[in-house]
Amino acid sequence: MKTLIFADDGEIAGQICSYLKTGTENYVATLPGEESKCGKTGAKQIFVLNGKPDSSNVSIALKELKDRESIDYVFIGSTAFGRDVAGKLSGLGNMKPLSEITSIAFKDGIAVTTRFLYGGKSVLTEESNSNLFVTAPGISEIVQDKPGSPVQQLNLNDPAVKIVGEEKKSAGGVDLEKAKVIVSIGRGLGKPDGIPMVEQLAKAVKGEIAGSRPVCLDYHWLSEDRQVGLSGKKVKPKLYIAVGISGQIQHIAGMRGAKTVIAINKDKTAPIFEECDYGLIGDLYQIVPKLVASLLA
Amino acid sequence: MPLNIIVLIKVIPDLEQIKANASTGEVQTDRIPLRLETLSENAIEAAVQLREKHGGKVFGLIFGKQESAPLMKKAYAMGVDEGTVLTGYGENNPMHTAEVLCQKIRTMQFDLIISGNQSADTYTGLLPGIISSKLNINLLSNALTLSIDQATITVRSSLDRKIQNLSSQLPAIVSVTQETNQPRLPPVMQIMAAGRKQIVTEAAQVADTANVKRISNKAPKSERRKQLFEKTDEGIVAIVKAIKEEIR
Ligand SMILES: Cc1cc2nc3c(=O)[nH]c(=O)nc-3n(C[C@H](O)[C@H](O)[C@H](O)COP(=O)(O)OP(=O)(O)OC[C@H]3O[C@@H](n4cnc5c(N)ncnc54)[C@H](O)[C@@H]3O)c2cc1C
Ligand SMILES: Nc1ncnc2c1ncn2[C@@H]1O[C@H](COP(=O)(O)O)[C@@H](O)[C@H]1O
Repeated sequence: MKTLIFADDGEIAGQICSYLKTGTENYVATLPGEESKCGKTGAKQIFVLNGKPDSSNVSIALKELKDRESIDYVFIGSTAFGRDVAGKLSGLGNMKPLSEITSIAFKDGIAVTTRFLYGGKSVLTEESNSNLFVTAPGISEIVQDKPGSPVQQLNLNDPAVKIVGEEKKSAGGVDLEKAKVIVSIGRGLGKPDGIPMVEQLAKAVKGEIAGSRPVCLDYHWLSEDRQVGLSGKKVKPKLYIAVGISGQIQHIAGMRGAKTVIAINKDKTAPIFEECDYGLIGDLYQIVPKLVASLLA
Repeated sequence: MPLNIIVLIKVIPDLEQIKANASTGEVQTDRIPLRLETLSENAIEAAVQLREKHGGKVFGLIFGKQESAPLMKKAYAMGVDEGTVLTGYGENNPMHTAEVLCQKIRTMQFDLIISGNQSADTYTGLLPGIISSKLNINLLSNALTLSIDQATITVRSSLDRKIQNLSSQLPAIVSVTQETNQPRLPPVMQIMAAGRKQIVTEAAQVADTANVKRISNKAPKSERRKQLFEKTDEGIVAIVKAIKEEIR
């Protein structure tokens, strides 16, 4: 069984390669500079796609690789770019895609997969003859214990769209997936001026600060890599303190793996209280300083 | 230049109201009220704003079921000019959804297609790419902003680690992010006017060759303690104890 794995993030390509280690011959394609992140995960070959990548030229390159190497299954890491590529490749190669899988096992040529549905409210188990799997980040730890894979450089066609300019997004340099304690803030904070107060709490519990989607993407109070949820990081700390977060299902999908959840919210009916171990009903601006004082006492 | 814009609108069950069967864990979606999918509303708003600026027409396309049809009224109230509801939507099969939508789109004149980047219920994110390939038009994805000048569209595209400024000739397909805009709450007058507008329904012409079999659809188990405190001081005592246990 031959697989082709593509992710624009080498770490995610490496996770998939590590996950699929048994019984498959894995070919990896990624973008320049990413190949070292997955270099020792047991890929038969790593292809580095040089040029100006867009979803069009990358999907064409993957289609060519798939045909040339007689690939049975394609796996694409679910990033914004990955999903675009997966859609383009599905249309181009008339493939059978399955999105956002969180696990996969093959039984007699049938794929048994799981994925979230209804924004994370449920987990769907399915059987299919799909041949393109968009794979949720973090499907496995990355295991770099194999000899280095041979690397081959490939050139991409010109992009279909004009790439006029690019800016890097600011990154906080945190590894939320590995954090043991997380203090997470939501829109209930009301203003960025509340952040120093939350930082004191984070310090008192030796935790990292994270946030809901609006806090990270709409208001940019925190950098985007601190977003927890369905479209953000999936975290599994021992302790998760949700401050002014309502607990919409797409947020819960990111923190379900936490061991103990504490919620602070002024609305008794907030859904976060259905997903917490301990809940404090009240104004976070009253509660957080008192909590910090008690922790330090 | 007046624009013909097609906006792709998904109708979904109200996610917050979906409950799991207490003994089996299977989620139940029958008789859950329907609503417009979150990102589809951002797509409508983006389309209507472009029409307000450039003139032209916004055409809404829903691939849903018979019950989805009334939801087109909300789209009208938000400013969509005309709409068609294609019926026959079954299981979630992005290739089928894309083919049904493309069959209809191929009969239409358009400059731009707008969709969400990822729908709130299935979270697939594949449709914009599939449609782009099938119609052989450029995809400008994950738009934070979009603007049109003559026959050129420019998009600030939000990827995981960078933002790209992209441009392309029309026709093209754009997927928008949740951060693109704040979908408008239509005023009462517009809601009333929308109620009088015609909704065309057509049966989808392409058969669904579903290749996916559902084994189970269960809510993940929540075994949280759910101990709530309205009295802050009392709560803090319990919580400090719990915290100290975890961070020891
Ligand atoms: C496809 C898709 C993907 C998504 N992905 C994510 C994701 O990855 N992560 C994510 O977080 N969201 C995600 N969302 C968005 C999600 O649906 C919610 O909109 C979001 O989680 C809400 O964030 P919030 O809880 O901070 O804000 P709100 O829902 O506005 O909640 C604010 C809360 O603060 C409380 N509050 C207000 N003032 C105070 C005070 N003074 N003291 C105490 N409490 C107070 C309020 O009672 C309220 O409950 C996604 C949505 C979609 C459609
Ligand atoms: N059944 C549908 N009918 C019309 N538009 C849809 C449908 N499904 C998805 N879309 C559009 O495609 C976007 C992305 O959906 P998806 O690729 O399913 O995550 C949505 O935000 C909608 O704009």
